[in-house]
Amino acid sequence: MISASNPNSMMSSSSTTGNNNAAGSGQQAPGLKTYFKTPEGRYKLKYEKSHPAGLLHYAHGKSVTQVTLAHLKDKPAHALSSSSSSIGISSGVKSAAAKFLGGGNGSRALSFVGGNGGSKSSSGTTKVGSLGSSYTNSYTPNSNFDGKGTYLIFNVGDAIFISDLNSQDKDPIKSINFSTSNPISHAFDPDAKDGHDLLIGLNSGDVYSVSLRQQLQDGGKKLVGGQHYNKDGCVNNSRCTSIAWVPNGDGTFVVAHADGNMYVYEKSKDGSGDPSFPVVKDQNQFSVSHARYSKNPIARWHICQGSINSIAFSNDGAYIAIVGRDGYLRVFDFKTEQLICGGKSYYGALLCCTWSMDGKYILTGGEDDLVQVWSMEERKIVAWGEGHSSWVSGVAFDSYWSAPNADGTGENVVYRFGSVGQDTQLLLWDLEMDELVVPMRRAPGGSPTMSTGSQSAHWDHACPLGALRPAPSMRDVPKLSPLVVHRVHTDPLSGLIFTQESVLTVCREGHIKIWARPSEGQTTGSDSLSGTSLKEKPKVGYRQ
Amino acid sequence: MGAAGSKLEKALGDQFPEGERYFGLENFGNTCYCNSVLQALYFCVPFREQLLEYYSSNKSFTDAEENLLTCLADLFTQITSQKKKTGVIAPKRFVQRLKKQNEIFRSYMHQDAHEFLNYLLNELVDILEKESRAVKSDLESSSSSEQIPNGLNTSHTNGHIKEPLVTWVHKNFQGILTNETRCLRCETVTARDETFLDLSIDIEQNSSITSCLKNFSSTETLNAEDKFFCDKCCSLQEAQKRMKIKKPPQILVIHLKRFKYIEQLGRYKKLSYRVVFPLELKLTNTVEDTDAEYSLFAVVVHVGSGPNHGHYVSLVKSHNHWLFFDDENVEMIDESAVQTFFGSAQEYSSNTDHGYILFYERVDVGSAS
Repeated sequence: MISASNPNSMMSSSSTTGNNNAAGSGQQAPGLKTYFKTPEGRYKLKYEKSHPAGLLHYAHGKSVTQVTLAHLKDKPAHALSSSSSSIGISSGVKSAAAKFLGGGNGSRALSFVGGNGGSKSSSGTTKVGSLGSSYTNSYTPNSNFDGKGTYLIFNVGDAIFISDLNSQDKDPIKSINFSTSNPISHAFDPDAKDGHDLLIGLNSGDVYSVSLRQQLQDGGKKLVGGQHYNKDGCVNNSRCTSIAWVPNGDGTFVVAHADGNMYVYEKSKDGSGDPSFPVVKDQNQFSVSHARYSKNPIARWHICQGSINSIAFSNDGAYIAIVGRDGYLRVFDFKTEQLICGGKSYYGALLCCTWSMDGKYILTGGEDDLVQVWSMEERKIVAWGEGHSSWVSGVAFDSYWSAPNADGTGENVVYRFGSVGQDTQLLLWDLEMDELVVPMRRAPGGSPTMSTGSQSAHWDHACPLGALRPAPSMRDVPKLSPLVVHRVHTDPLSGLIFTQESVLTVCREGHIKIWARPSEGQTTGSDSLSGTSLKEKPKVGYRQ
Repeated sequence: MGAAGSKLEKALGDQFPEGERYFGLENFGNTCYCNSVLQALYFCVPFREQLLEYYSSNKSFTDAEENLLTCLADLFTQITSQKKKTGVIAPKRFVQRLKKQNEIFRSYMHQDAHEFLNYLLNELVDILEKESRAVKSDLESSSSSEQIPNGLNTSHTNGHIKEPLVTWVHKNFQGILTNETRCLRCETVTARDETFLDLSIDIEQNSSITSCLKNFSSTETLNAEDKFFCDKCCSLQEAQKRMKIKKPPQILVIHLKRFKYIEQLGRYKKLSYRVVFPLELKLTNTVEDTDAEYSLFAVVVHVGSGPNHGHYVSLVKSHNHWLFFDDENVEMIDESAVQTFFGSAQEYSSNTDHGYILFYERVDVGSAS
């Protein structure tokens, strides 16, 4: 029925065959292409992940879907050898929600290769259900199931869904229902020591840490074996907007709330504590309070007035970037709790942020429809990406991409990054630092005046440590244009993730698309035999 | 008195702003279009204050003659002078006057809130101009009325002799658009200035106000049957046209064209598009490179799926609290609730509450430090 309404149907994805669960959601509207072109080749829609359509109605307007990518290692749940995986051994995790480890942990060689060990046991049975009535019952609990594999964790309405990234199944393999409040944010740490690797933050402010493997092994629809923090919002009852593990933080994690506060927790500490923090005296002033006793949360950071919308740690865990309602990006040294730098958006709130793998740049996106590139070296915005026709809701660097002619000799570093917006579009960008040119400054009215001169000078002026920059003027910031503009969903988008093999996009209503990268050698590699042949081959749709 | 405190009073508690009144307006049968706009105007504080000031200082001139201005001023006075902090008021005289004066609004049919706002503002301007002229002829002196400062648009006004009068309504709402047309043959740029009290902009699905404003100012080519008469070439020529904002208004009113005539259907259709609007906005489509910064303070919301029926409510920001006005009812809402009025990403949605008229107030950023 979907393809019938689409005369030039390219059969978006063969994995959807025989699966009409998402029919009601109006996906695959005509006009949505199943591929997009980049200089290095075509990205093709590989498959989609979704959730039972019956939930859509309930979820509407209540919460926005975010996705976390979780790589469960080949190792039984009870093993104690986890300490061997301390620094950057597995690159497996990125989170669209929290985007910590945004750059893929610095090691490109490892990651989502191969199918999931456990997918066989469940994939056959998950397709039974339609319209969300019975699929959860069809899942067979299997306590021997080691769970190894790569999973997508996403929230829709009052549930968390877990999908197997490498299976073709559109349906999730697991759902966890939260009866009290909607889950909003989540984060995963592949190197968690005691098994609790997944964090879930709720609309009520409540936070859980659980073992992902344990959830997969359990057959029920409830969260199992969770550690409950901020129970019933006793410490803070405002929405939990963003959550992140501190990289190399030994079980430390931070939770950002809609009231401008951020809390630091330590997994090893008692979660039942009820430390009361002093009242925030000045809503506009940054302040940190530590718990008097060794209880969770161990500290409260008051960041700003209004909501914190997104937080992201640099790969080494040294810095945390925080964006929010007031439109400021703030970068803190996490250990010393000092504000390092930051600045205001062009206008409106900032909604998302992420780090480059080398920690030199931060991307932010927000309500001014712009993607901002912030330089840690210069402590200012060095470029504005213009191309979205609505708010920018997700940004990410592509750490797996390398410049075509990167021989390592030139100093000209190119960064590839992507952004998604409420305009339903995915944009890809190349940031070439040498090519950035500050636009010519013309004084209004044609005559150079003192006032404009001094304004620009102010902008160029070096910013002292710990000071926040005001919003730059339109003419002071170099502009970038997108490399690719591609409409990927019918609904506004909420996030994107780059993996070694693909780009994942997710819309607010909880539909995920997985776009396969151009196959190897498809680019201009002149000395590659396979390259030329692949390039010539006309590609019609996607074949499984 | 204190015991009868409303729910809203309780919600605000000791944060209830000093001297402020939050009153619902009674509906006299499909007058919600009027109520929603009146609330937005009431909470446009500079407008309210200047109206009341003008009214109190000009009472002697206006005699007993009733008009929309006096009715509006009376209504606002009535609200501000209430003993209670919250309650309901019947804007009876105002609505009666409106219906008496304009037959469009006389019927009990569903009316368009934007049309009403437009009518009201223009009517106020007319009244002020008339009174000013009367005063002028009385005093035989031109010094009392304020004129547009030199060079603002006198050179472009297309040879009109009438001296434009800048009333306090203009000072609040009026901006100037420049319509630049470049003849593609002789390259001559013709600039025509037009004033506006609000901007009506086309909208697109899943877009932002920023993007809609950009489209509003984007270059359009005039060709085929839509050629431009170039004065220099003395003939119809292909040309490029764009609209830029020459003078950003103090209060920026943006009307989203949600009611569109669909030729195939032979009728108007409501576009339920999701158009996001930020709480802060800057105008970039200006002639000068200055970034005029604005802050959202009111939204008139159309509720319903079609153009000929439905309901209007308004969201208003007052003293950093957001309030929801639905005729008689006034409630406090969270700032984050504003985003539930953006519209629907899908055509058929149960959500029919859509932002229709946006009111932004110019923010004076402190000196360029």
